[in-house]
Formats: sequence, structure tokens, C-alpha cells
Amino acid sequence: MVTFLQSLIDGVTIGSAYALLALGFTLIFGVLRRLNLAYGSSILVGAFAGAAVFAQWKAGGWAVAAATLAAAVAAGVYVERLCFWAMRKGAAIASMVSSFAVWMQLEEFLALLFPGRTLSFPPLVERSVFELGPFQFRTEYVAMLAIATLLVVALEWTMRATRFGLAVRAVTEHPEAARAMGVPVARIAFWAFVLASAIGGAAAYLMASAEEQVTLHSGMQLTFTGLIAMMIGGIGSLRGAVAGGLVLGVVETLVQAHFGATAREIAAFGLLFLLLVLRPGGLLAQDFAVREAAALRRV
Amino acid sequence: MDYLYGLAQTIGVHTIIGLSAYVVLQTGQVTMAQAAFYAVGAYVSAMLTTLWGLNILIAIPVAALVAMVLAGLAGFPALRFKGLMLVVATMALGEAVREFFFNFDYQIAKGDLKVGPAGAEGFRQIRYFYERGWTTAEVAAFIWMFVIGIMALLWWMDRSRIGAVLRAVGEDELAAQSVGINLTAVKVSAFAIGGAIAGVGGALYAHYTTHVEHTAFGVLMATFAIAYPILGGLSSVFGTLIAVVFIQGLLIQWLPILIGGELRNLLFGLLILLAMNLRPRGLIDPRVARTLRGLFVRSPNA
Amino acid sequence: MLEVSDIVTSYGKIEALKGVSLEVEPGKITCLLGPNGAGKTTLMMTVAGILKPRRGSVRFEGRDLAGQAPRRIVEAGIALVPENRLVFPNMTVAENLAAGAFTRSDGAGIAEDMERMYARFPRLKERSTQAAGTLSGGEQQMLAVARALMVRPKLLLMDEPSVGLAPLVVEEIFRIIRDLNRDGTTIFLVEQNAHMALQVAHHFYLLELGKVTFSGAPGQLAEAEVIQRAYLGSKKTQ
Repeated sequence: MVTFLQSLIDGVTIGSAYALLALGFTLIFGVLRRLNLAYGSSILVGAFAGAAVFAQWKAGGWAVAAATLAAAVAAGVYVERLCFWAMRKGAAIASMVSSFAVWMQLEEFLALLFPGRTLSFPPLVERSVFELGPFQFRTEYVAMLAIATLLVVALEWTMRATRFGLAVRAVTEHPEAARAMGVPVARIAFWAFVLASAIGGAAAYLMASAEEQVTLHSGMQLTFTGLIAMMIGGIGSLRGAVAGGLVLGVVETLVQAHFGATAREIAAFGLLFLLLVLRPGGLLAQDFAVREAAALRRV
Repeated sequence: MDYLYGLAQTIGVHTIIGLSAYVVLQTGQVTMAQAAFYAVGAYVSAMLTTLWGLNILIAIPVAALVAMVLAGLAGFPALRFKGLMLVVATMALGEAVREFFFNFDYQIAKGDLKVGPAGAEGFRQIRYFYERGWTTAEVAAFIWMFVIGIMALLWWMDRSRIGAVLRAVGEDELAAQSVGINLTAVKVSAFAIGGAIAGVGGALYAHYTTHVEHTAFGVLMATFAIAYPILGGLSSVFGTLIAVVFIQGLLIQWLPILIGGELRNLLFGLLILLAMNLRPRGLIDPRVARTLRGLFVRSPNA
Repeated sequence: MLEVSDIVTSYGKIEALKGVSLEVEPGKITCLLGPNGAGKTTLMMTVAGILKPRRGSVRFEGRDLAGQAPRRIVEAGIALVPENRLVFPNMTVAENLAAGAFTRSDGAGIAEDMERMYARFPRLKERSTQAAGTLSGGEQQMLAVARALMVRPKLLLMDEPSVGLAPLVVEEIFRIIRDLNRDGTTIFLVEQNAHMALQVAHHFYLLELGKVTFSGAPGQLAEAEVIQRAYLGSKKTQ
């Protein structure tokens, strides 16, 4: 029981970072109805920038975090302009394929700049372990959970209480109606993309600082993790994204604890499969899934 | 010269996998699972020829059949998903199949050599063509026989009632259903046909490279598979071929020679983006297709 | 107040509007009737700035608004109640109203207008914290109207407000339309339900296959003929 609860705690922690990834994905998908396959690699650009700043100047946590976010946003803007803004309305698959091309491009770019492919990353806080009852807590994980929670709450507030958040949600639900009310849809989509990239950058920062390194392969993993967590939660739903991230984190950690690391990789896909078959709309299903279907039907 | 034949082999096999996605895309379903059926075709056929010494002309149809059955089975649950859900579900299926081959270990001793799929190391020593002394040119010709056969088949299909039914489903499922088209049958058949074609492509791929491993069947291949027909405009099988020549021939093979290999992927990405931005409906969009057709086919009132 | 002249709007090569001219007088209810596919919604979307006309002008209080961004048009005083209502289903009633006031930045004024909407539509007040998707069809239509009114429009465009609603609810919606008009809002209404529309309209147009084929007051044409042409189109143009 104690091991189970311990896995649960660890799972929720890693899941909080996944939740951020899924939030970024779902924001982009919500306003654009398009899939951004370059998401993982664009936030990886951020993590590498953070690592580079750390390696060059031995900079502290804040500078590294700022560099990570800034580069993630810059890469995100690059993706948005090339794959989404420039694309004809309705060409959702052309956008997806283009974003895949950018994924390869960004990875190649990183491979050329950083031939070592693995860089060390500064930890968020000093590594240590403290005990509370029978449970062990790693300080870096506690810090990660705290920051992720803070960000999720801040995002929730932005979406509920600000004019921008209201516009993003309106565009997500009915772009045509939002436009009729004078919401500048393209501009809102752009800023939502920027926000999503910043959230993704924060997730990359938290994950990299917990592992104290970044590697080139993690781009694909970041994309898939975010995508799967979003699908599990139910696309288009911000709360679903948080739920999906947490569930995925917990399931992965439990599977790893009981069946080893190989099973962990398959667990994510297995969970997704199971859920898609049992509940095709995701945990917090909305009629959104039905409506978005039209968006991807036409190539 | 061998270099050119090698290129012809690559282009041929990629055309086949592009065409396999072309069939499914006709029904409006965006699938990222073609790489999985391609993998199944590759492993099954290679095991048949290498482990059990079957003739390749038997191995290829069997591999295609296995891939077809699997694709058909995948087609049923896929009916529940539309749009993005289908993209991600098929992507997940593809990754699961890749993971399977990553862990697939089955070897038998052949002489002093152990052959067969060896997990992460992949499946080496697929020496069918080599053992029979086929030249690169002969292998290329063999592959193109299949390419031409499949293209002819699909070209005919496009003009037949079957093609019309597939496109009707792609245009508007409700309307198609209301004129009595059985959606389940059409979508599952499209998946199955696509799977069989991908299986043929995989079988040919395994035999000309002689060594397959799981990395060849990831998201990259799945994206290529749908990118070719989309870039080709989805209005004709020739569009797919032209897109493959454009990407594999022009961008991947000749570009690095012109500008140096290091920058290849950077520029490659940029050119795909350019092509997608300038011609979002494909290199051969309906208008170009009409013009091209006009060059070869005299219009009835001319 | 609104003068549409010689508007041509097309989807690709297909012209949905082939030179439409009509006029909406201030303080009146003007109706546009016509069969499906005649271009009624296209005209609404063109006036609202969502579609760009290929040719022609849309003059509102003397200014040409043709081809302007929807935002400018909202700011000029035109609001659209879209076809099928399109309320934001996962947002609360209050959030829907707030979204309607997107172009305004005067917080106090918005709050005041929200109260006015609640006074006019008490049922929305009861459901103000409920997700809009949980409302009934009629309530959603009220919300769509209230949402559009949040910008205090001088001209309200309504695209088929009665579609998909039960007869009793339709009567209620038309009562609301009449009330709004009495309180000074000019209304330009697109309808399929010719019978109801003719009861409230001061003036109406028939649109068939992208062209205006009749303009006049209700009564100038026998209702039977209007209904015939509004549903099926006249034989001449077919």
C-alpha cells in the first residue's frame, strides 16, 4: 500500500508537468483546430537554449528559465507563422504535414548547434529527500509540483477572468460566432500560440531541471506525451488536459513500478487505446470532438 | 549507374507506400498507420524468404495478405474516430506496432549464422536477391513492375464505380449514406486495400535494403506516406508519383549534393513548407490536373 | 440606414449573390425571405463583414463598410445573431454575454448592460451561471439575441432566428423581435418562416438565386404567393 501511494505521489508530480504539455497542445488545437506536430521540438529548442545559457555563463535558475521560455516562444512563433498562419483556411492536414517538416528542421538545427546532443541542465532546487510519515519526497519534485500547480491556476484564471481568455474560449467554441462579435480570430490564435509555447517551455524547463539534462530525442517524447494526455482528457477542454496529464503520469509511474521501464512506454499508448475505445471523446468529453471532425475532413 | 538504380528502388517503394495512403485518404480518413502495415509486410515477407526459404513471389502476396487482414481489423475500431481522433489513434497504433518489432526476437540457426528479427538490432541478412545474383537494375525493374501494376490498378479504380464510392464517402459521409452506401464496408475496405498495398511496399523494401529495423517504421514514415498523396493533390495516382520524385529524388538525393549534406534537413523542411504554402492542395491540384489531362486527352468537343 | 447596393459575393467561382441591392430603414423591421440556397445567409455574412464582397457597397449611416473587418462593423453599430444561434456551449450564460461585449472596454457600462439583458430576459438571469449548452433551444436563441445586444447595436441582423424551434417558442421569439423594435432597435431579419415574418415586417424583400425579385410591404403580395416563392422559388427563376 505504501509503495502504491508513493507511486501515486510521484505520478501526480510528473503528471503535473504532463498537464502543462497537454494544456499547450489543447490551447493550440482549440483555437486553430489543427495538430501541431512540431510542439515538442519547438519547446525542446527552449530547453536547449536554457542549457546553453547555463553552460556558457553558469547562469542561475531565473536566467535559465527566462532563456528557456523565450526560445520556446520564439520557436513557437516560427512554427505558427510557417505552418498555421500562412496556410489556407481549411488546409488542416497541410498544416500538420508542414509542422512535421518543421519538427525535423528544428531537430536538425539543434543537432547542428549542439553536436553532443545531451546537455546538462541546472536543477530547480538543491537535490534532497525528506520524509513525511512513510513517504519520501524529493525536493525537486515538490518544487516541480508547486510551480506546475501555480501555472495551472494562473492559466485557469486567465481563461476565466480576462478578456483575452474569454476571446480564446469563444474562438475555441465557435470561431464564426466569435468573429461576428468582433473578435480578431487570427490575432487571438497567434497569442494563444504564444501562450501555449510559453506553457510548453515551462513544462520543458520543469522536466529538464528534474532530470538535470536535456537530450535531442526528447522532442518526440514531449510531443507524444502532450498529445496523448490531451486526447485522454478530451480535446478542447482545459480541465480535461489537466486531468489527462495527471492520469497519464500516475499510470506511467505505476506501470513502471510494477512492470519496468519498457512497459512504461507502451502504457501510454495502451491507456490511450483503451480510453478511445471505451470513451472516444476522452475523459471530459465534449461535443467538441464531433465538431472538430469536420475541420480535419477536408485535406 | 547503380546509384540511379538505387534511387529508382527508393522512389518505387515510396510511391507504393504513398499510394497505400492515397486509397485511405480518398475516403476522407487521415491515417498515420501506413508505416505499421509497411513494417508488417517487411517482417513477414523477409521471414518467409529468409527463414523458410519461400519464393519471393509467394512471400509478397502472403505478406500483403497479412497486412491486409491487420489493416482490416484496425479499420473497425477506426470507424469510431474522425478527424484528429483518427490521426492520433492510428499514430498510436503505428507506434504500438513499432514497439512490437522493437521487442520482437525470433531467430533460427542457418548454417553457422543465426538469422531472423533480433529486437532492437533489427532483422539482418535478408539476402534473397543477393543469393540469387540479381543486379541492382534487375531489382529496380522488379520493384517497378509492382509500382506500375498498383498504379494501373488504382488508376482503373479511380475511374470505376469503386473510386466514385470512395470519393463520395470522402466528400460527405451523410450524403453517401443516404444514397445507400455502406460506410462500414467502404471504410474498412479502404483500410484493407491500403494495408495490402503498404504490405507489398514493405516486402519490397525489406528485400532491397537487406536489413530492416524498427526505426524505419516510425512517425517519419507514416507522415511521408500521407504527405506524398497530399502533396500530389489527391486527384490522381500520378500526383503521388510526382510528389515522391520531388521529395525523394530532388530534395533528399540531389539537394545534399548541391548544398552539402549538413544542411539537408533544414532546407528539406523549408522546401516542404514552401510547397505546402504555395500549393496547399498539392503540387498537382485539380486545375493543373485538368491542364495536364488536356495535353494528353483530346476533349470531346475539340 | 443600411443601403446595400449591387453586392456580388462568391465562394470560389460560384456567385452566391449576383448584384443584390436593398435598403433597411431606421426604426423598421425589414425582412429578407427566400428559399434555401438563395443567398440569404451569404448576404447577412457579407453585411457583418465575415465574407468579403467581390463588388458593390454596404453603406451604413452614410459610411461604406463593404469589406471592413467584422470588428469595425460591430463598432459602427451592427450586430449579428448568427444562424443556428451558435452560443458558446461550454461557457456560462454570463460569459456568453461578456464575450458579446468583446469590442467594448467600459467595464461599468458592460455590467449595466448585462443587468439590462437580465431584466429583459429573466430566464437568462436564472441561468446566468449555467453552461449555455444546457439551455433549451428557445433560451439559447434569447441568449444569442442578448449577446448581440451587448454592443448596443443600432441595427440588429438576425439570421433565421426561428429555425429548429417549437411553434410556441417561435411565437415568443417573434414577440421579442417586436419588443426590441418598439424600443428603438432597427432589425434586419432573414427568415424561412414567411408566415411569421410577414406579421412583424414593415417591409420585405424576396431573394431568389442570388437576386432580389420582389420588394414591398406585406400585403402587396398575396401571402400564399410569398410563401410559395419563399420556400420553393418562383417558376420563372428556376
